[in-house]
Amino acid sequence: MAFVDYRDPRPVYEQIVDYYEKLILTGAMQPDDRIPSVRQTAAEWSINPNTIQKAFSILEERGYIYAVPGRGNFVAETGDLLKQRIERFLEDEEKNIREAKAFGVKKSQMEDILNRVFGSDEA
Amino acid sequence: MIEIRDISKSYDDGASKALSGISMRIDDGRVFGLIGTNGAGKSTLMRIMSGVIRPDSGNVWYDRRQFFRVSGRTGRVSGEDTALKTDICFLPDSWNFPLNATPAECAHRFQLFYQNFNEERFRKMMQTVGLDLSRPVRTFSRGMRKETSMLLGLCAGTRYLFCDEIFDGLDPVVRQAMKSLVAEEMVDRNFTPVIASHNLRELEDFCDHVGLLYKGGVLLSEELENMKLSIHKVQFVLRDKGREDELCRNLDVLQCRKRGSVMEILARGSADDIMQTVRSEDPVFAEILPVTLEEAFIGETEVNGYDFNSLFS
Repeated sequence: MAFVDYRDPRPVYEQIVDYYEKLILTGAMQPDDRIPSVRQTAAEWSINPNTIQKAFSILEERGYIYAVPGRGNFVAETGDLLKQRIERFLEDEEKNIREAKAFGVKKSQMEDILNRVFGSDEA
Repeated sequence: MIEIRDISKSYDDGASKALSGISMRIDDGRVFGLIGTNGAGKSTLMRIMSGVIRPDSGNVWYDRRQFFRVSGRTGRVSGEDTALKTDICFLPDSWNFPLNATPAECAHRFQLFYQNFNEERFRKMMQTVGLDLSRPVRTFSRGMRKETSMLLGLCAGTRYLFCDEIFDGLDPVVRQAMKSLVAEEMVDRNFTPVIASHNLRELEDFCDHVGLLYKGGVLLSEELENMKLSIHKVQFVLRDKGREDELCRNLDVLQCRKRGSVMEILARGSADDIMQTVRSEDPVFAEILPVTLEEAFIGETEVNGYDFNSLFS
């Protein structure tokens, strides 16, 4: 569980948000699972608790977790979130592919990758 | 909240100006990083904030309570609000106690000044980090003395803890352990650490706010996040090289460098605004890069005419 990489240019809170988003979307954490407290996380990773609180606020805003006063933070029902996450991913991918196209990457090269990754899966 | 207003201090009868009209605000429950070289005034400022020394002029307010008493007639500082001192703990950069004292004896001393000093907790913490409570501090390494100082400070239970270069020079394991302890303290109660350091990299990921001191003045005091959101590094190559100067003029440029045909600039503004401006010049290549705290400081200080390398030599 090493989500803070100091060499990563992204702000610490963003790394924490991404880490939990992944855990939650992949189902590694199930709805109503308890998220470690700010205190636990701060102590374990030597992080400023304000940073962690900020990450948790963002996760709550985005609907990944919900807070129970006095009890802590818990994983929310993910439903729509996966769809949103996929949309975001596809947007980023499109940007990447446009960039690749600017470098001269051909459609057939992209198709090769798609075939390798998706194999003979339909759609 | 601590408000520092127009603090000035000279030594040697005015010959050596340590602080010139410093003003700053330190919010509760946030980690404040006080950055600057030796001689910049960090230690002097911390000593004034804790009442160890008195300023020549200006004052410090703790939650709008005036810290120094100023004589109406002469305008000079005549004393401090000693009640406020019980909420402040200052940890100097070098060991202050007699070297033959043991940590246990130092804890007794702390108890005299800080009624809330938790001796039991201090014992437990020293044991956890593997430091002997009954060995004279003379036998401790510099790092071990700093650790001991830090633990004494944390166990004092004060609202404010001023650490003068305590984190500097600690080995990474100990440094992380100390950060964890500070973090826990912040969660458990109303606790505000002010950490003076000349090492930006060590503090960068831990501070909420940074204040940069240089030659007795404040170069900048900002929320770390705002600094990172408002300064960006962009590398680009324009199709029309002739447009480079024009582009630099349209941006709030702190620094400009050319490496071969790649232009690298450090500019103020939001990432989106900057990239929009760059893209409007039809670049062959344009990429926005993350800025470290060090680079942001270099940009800000050099633009003010200071040579960054001389700040941290």
